[in-house]
Amino acid sequence: MIKRIISRLDIKNNFLVKGLQLEGLRVIGYPETFAKEYYFQNIDEIIFQDVVASLYKRNQSKHIVNNITNDIFVPIVVGGGIRTLEDINDILLHGADRVSINTQAINNPKFIEESALKFGSSTIAISVEALKINDEYKIFTDNGRSPSNLNLYDWVKKIQDLGAGEIMITSINNEGTGKGFDLRLVDEVKKICKIPLLAHGGGGKPDHVLELFRKTDVDGCILSSAFHYHYIKSIKDNKVLETGSSSFIHQKEFDDLDCFSIEKLKKYLAENKINIR
Amino acid sequence: MNKKPLAAIIDLSINNILSIKRALEVVGFETEIFNKKFSTKKFDLVVLPGVGAFSEGMNRLIKTKLIDSVKEAINQDKKLVGICLGMQLLFKDSSEFGHTKGINFFNGNVEAFSKNENTKRLHIGWNNIEFNKTNNQDIINYFYEKNLQNEYFYFVHSYYANNLESKHEMAFTKNNNLKFPSIVKKGNVLGLQFHPEKSGKSGIKLLKFFL
Repeated sequence: MIKRIISRLDIKNNFLVKGLQLEGLRVIGYPETFAKEYYFQNIDEIIFQDVVASLYKRNQSKHIVNNITNDIFVPIVVGGGIRTLEDINDILLHGADRVSINTQAINNPKFIEESALKFGSSTIAISVEALKINDEYKIFTDNGRSPSNLNLYDWVKKIQDLGAGEIMITSINNEGTGKGFDLRLVDEVKKICKIPLLAHGGGGKPDHVLELFRKTDVDGCILSSAFHYHYIKSIKDNKVLETGSSSFIHQKEFDDLDCFSIEKLKKYLAENKINIR
Repeated sequence: MNKKPLAAIIDLSINNILSIKRALEVVGFETEIFNKKFSTKKFDLVVLPGVGAFSEGMNRLIKTKLIDSVKEAINQDKKLVGICLGMQLLFKDSSEFGHTKGINFFNGNVEAFSKNENTKRLHIGWNNIEFNKTNNQDIINYFYEKNLQNEYFYFVHSYYANNLESKHEMAFTKNNNLKFPSIVKKGNVLGLQFHPEKSGKSGIKLLKFFL
């Protein structure tokens, strides 16, 4: 099986947003435009994460998914604010292939089991958000807003035992920083994880991804800023972006952000003998 | 203007058929969706998609009498394609939950990966396919003509078809060391274990085979 390159699009009020360490969100464009470009560049999978759904108790990204599946034919994952079996069914009927659950899985672990039984393990991914405090990983909910009292290792074991099909591990410390993946976090989870594992948070250079695939046994990596910023920079016509992002890209700091295209990343990985599509 | 070819999509209501409908439309089909028995006569292609449990799939096919439409398509020598569970339902039977009878068009039975050592219980993700070139069939030639032979396709399944007659196995894929059929064909009936509608641009190119 090949290593999967996955792009994550954070959604707030129908806009693509991006933050730093899951905080300080800013609007950078229309998600449909970005998703289509990523599909064109051979992305392996796309995650739409409604970053305020859990807080506001509703997921809006399903409508975006319903639109983009007219043009995009790769697996689509939707996360954010999923609380009931009916929520999952609704999202799948809008064209998603899998859902990713965090807050509700922690509040009610039996929900993992119920949803895996009803929709099949392969449909249920559990998102785990870890913040390192004093060299110890704490598990968070509500997109990094609220701490739980769970222990990382017990929680990963439990997720598997309850029948989830996949784990997405986010390093809150590294998310949005572009300073590299938290390899220790990924490695420690992988040691006890028998289901597919995806790493998220910190990938800012092609070398970070290469290092992740060489040093850990993950099944894929999730990137967001690096692809978003590259796409924004590559667009001459700012009309396809909306006002929020055009003011953002005229800030001086934007020039310093690390970014690269999916094509460039895949080419680099293939040159380094990583098995990719 | 030429009339668009017409595809019938069988809706077993156990999974989302939106993507397959849209993928067929992108390649140039007009589509109609059926959740109960229908006449296949006017259709150029009949599509049997599906994800999930074999027994549930068979139950729905029987309850809705859609199984009659599938058999009608086969008897009329229509182009028919089964995708994922839809492919597996065309086999003789499945060992899932004891024993469930299938449509029995292909010889062979559907078994769990978990029965084998050193295979992943759930085969999920992108994988390649290898061809049985001794079966000199149009579908294999199509892959080479369109330069699709080295492309990856998207799989999600925990059961696979076993004991298929090799003359019906067009291509196979490996879950670790276990080879299983990923493209099967007999007459005008084709089965794909992977999801062309989720396999990116290669999947769309492949669906043009049915035009």
